[in-house]
Amino acid sequence: MKITEEIKISDNGFVFNSKTGDSFNLNPFGLELIKQIAEDKDFASTRDGILEKYDIDDLTIEKDYYEFYALLKHHQIIAQGDPLDFN
Amino acid sequence: MSKKKLTVAVTGLNNTDNPGPGVPVIRGLKDSKDFDVRIIGLVYENLEPGIYMEGLCDRIFQIPYPSAGSDDLIVRIEQIHQQEKIDVMIPNFDAELFSFMKNEQRLLDKGIHTFLPSLKQFQEREKDQLAKYGEKYGVKVPESINLSSVGQISDMEDKFDYPVMVKGQFYDAYKANNEEQVKQAFYKISAKWGFPVIVQEFVQGTEVNVIALGDGKGNTIAAVPMRKQYITDKGKAWGGITLGDEKMMDLTRMLIQKTLWKGGMELELIKTNGGEYYLIEINPRIPAWVYLAVGAGQNIPDALIKLALGRDVKPMTEYKIGKMFVRYSYDVIVDLEKFAAISMNKEI
Repeated sequence: MKITEEIKISDNGFVFNSKTGDSFNLNPFGLELIKQIAEDKDFASTRDGILEKYDIDDLTIEKDYYEFYALLKHHQIIAQGDPLDFN
Repeated sequence: MSKKKLTVAVTGLNNTDNPGPGVPVIRGLKDSKDFDVRIIGLVYENLEPGIYMEGLCDRIFQIPYPSAGSDDLIVRIEQIHQQEKIDVMIPNFDAELFSFMKNEQRLLDKGIHTFLPSLKQFQEREKDQLAKYGEKYGVKVPESINLSSVGQISDMEDKFDYPVMVKGQFYDAYKANNEEQVKQAFYKISAKWGFPVIVQEFVQGTEVNVIALGDGKGNTIAAVPMRKQYITDKGKAWGGITLGDEKMMDLTRMLIQKTLWKGGMELELIKTNGGEYYLIEINPRIPAWVYLAVGAGQNIPDALIKLALGRDVKPMTEYKIGKMFVRYSYDVIVDLEKFAAISMNKEI
């Protein structure tokens, strides 16, 4: 899934949608996640990287990841693809 | 190369919480790379803030309201012209445009250039004609009904669900959630702006706007889309940001090409959550947020005076996306003499 081309992500976590004018603030972890998504990394490799870096369990990562992913879709930061394809 | 000296008369110096476009238009003109402008500020009221802003206008004159009659207004402009030799006149109020359009040739004969839409262009985009306009040019517009009395509210209720937008022909718009609120808005608007009072179907979505300039031959000389980020209780933008939205640009270019629009304009649109665009209003003049377009790279006031003088202007296609404006209020300290001069002599 691709971040849409009108989305600009600053290094400090500020996300701007140049088509709608919407802007969002990401915390450092959100920024890390969105960068991984922008690089087209799948959930498994993102999860493995997070498990190495943080003291966190599998289930929490999965829950937070998909929650964040749904938010990105809702705000049209990620291109809307097949509604049945969740990743 | 030295800049060409030019005298430009501008109205709309009411930089209040419902601002006229005069002050930002002047700022754009002063940024011109080609002209060294001398500004003649034309005001209707003696407390229009632009009168008192240092370094803005070289001369100020009070002029009669268009409601006093087109002739009184034009005669006054001609008197001012005798003293000041106006090269270009930029009227900035909807309500005065009719007088200036009607007297375009008379002013030109005296050497005063304007760049305004034709009467036909002006009238066909009027709020009470918007449904026909949408049909003619293939643009989605909200359904509307023109009210001349409160008795017609029941007709309106047969057609629309609440909420609805109640609008005056020139200015003012209120969202009404029930019959009582429609009545209140109807009385308020009709007392100020006359009839008809327009009731429009409420379209849910985000309000977005485009400022544009047409050369009268179908070319879009400038166009910048914007989203209001901070809206006052009068519905005015107090902050906004430029957008990169090709659909809005295509819609603007299509309308200018089909209507051969001449002059500045503002398209007010609602973008629905489904990504559809509804045209809710066309303002037939430069809007008050014009300086955002200047800051983003398209100096519309400068291009407009070039077109008024008959120069060729190439379409500006680039602008910076994500440029913002934020308005602020500011207390100007004024000596009584200045206020007395405009009040008593009608000029400064």
